[in-house]
Amino acid sequence: MARQQFAAQHSQGIQTLLEAEKEAAKIVQQARQYRVQRLKDARTEASREIDEYRSAKEAEFRGFESSHAGTTSNAQTAVDRDTEVKLQAITDAYEANKDEVVKKLLDRVVLVKPELHRNLTKVGGTEAQ
Amino acid sequence: MSSRALNDDEVLSEMNKMVAFIKQEAMEKAREIKVKADEEFAIEKAKLVKQEQQAIDAQYDKKRKGADVAQKIAHSNLTNKSRLKLLHRREEQLQELFATARSSILTLAEDEGRYAQFLEGVIVQGYLQLMEPKVTLYAREQDAELVQKAAEGAAESYTQVSGREVTFEIEATLSKDSAGGIKLASGTRRITIDNTLDERLRLLEDRMLPEIRKDLFGPNENRKFYT
Repeated sequence: MARQQFAAQHSQGIQTLLEAEKEAAKIVQQARQYRVQRLKDARTEASREIDEYRSAKEAEFRGFESSHAGTTSNAQTAVDRDTEVKLQAITDAYEANKDEVVKKLLDRVVLVKPELHRNLTKVGGTEAQ
Repeated sequence: MSSRALNDDEVLSEMNKMVAFIKQEAMEKAREIKVKADEEFAIEKAKLVKQEQQAIDAQYDKKRKGADVAQKIAHSNLTNKSRLKLLHRREEQLQELFATARSSILTLAEDEGRYAQFLEGVIVQGYLQLMEPKVTLYAREQDAELVQKAAEGAAESYTQVSGREVTFEIEATLSKDSAGGIKLASGTRRITIDNTLDERLRLLEDRMLPEIRKDLFGPNENRKFYT
């Protein structure tokens, strides 16, 4: 009778201990799962932050682009205005000077200076050259 | 520590102590794991974010440089187009000027005295360039007489200058639309000289370009070397 009781007590004790170990293992397992979850979270959170960063950069770039398009069109108008002024200056100069130049041309057209070629000499009579 | 067997209560309390101990160990281990997990979470997240941020930064830097280059190209295109416009305008004006000149030379032949003098000079020039004993002169129909006289005078001048004799014949075959002047050909027709007013003007148009540019539009501000 006593031995049976004793044996029963033993196995009960071992049972309790086994259960305690099971509980302990569960706790540790939970912690491990927590770790795994954390790693996944790291990935998703990082991905979210990256996307935020990317859209911020994109917005920044768009701003830069639109401001630069502005400068280009400004430059265009400035250059066009400048060109117009220069074109007008050309026409004005032409109108002012053209008569003089035409006269110069006409004078030179009729200007003749006949000369013997510098390698030849005047001959006393007819000579084959 | 008694070496006697434990009674029931003591067994129970020892059991509880052991159970508690096991639990305690487990909790501590779990806590360690959790703390480490949080650390790793932070590190991993920071690493991923930084990596991608660098890649994104590089990407946008490249885009920005591309935009800069495109802007420079556009700017340079603008300047080019502007310069071309200016050159076009100058060319137009020049052509206009030449057209005016070309129509003006048609009136040169009307001043008889000057024209006769011009013809003689031009014929002598022709003789001196040909250096041939026999020459054919081509003139306009309306100039036939003038050219005859001029050619004779020219032959004399030619002999004075070069000591050589020349004989000529005249063919009044130049077109009426020509402004005037003469063409010459050697005896065998192998060598020809075009000394008409039109041709002389054409040559002048070409040779006088630097001078014309200076007179019409002023000297070139960008030019640094003058021989």
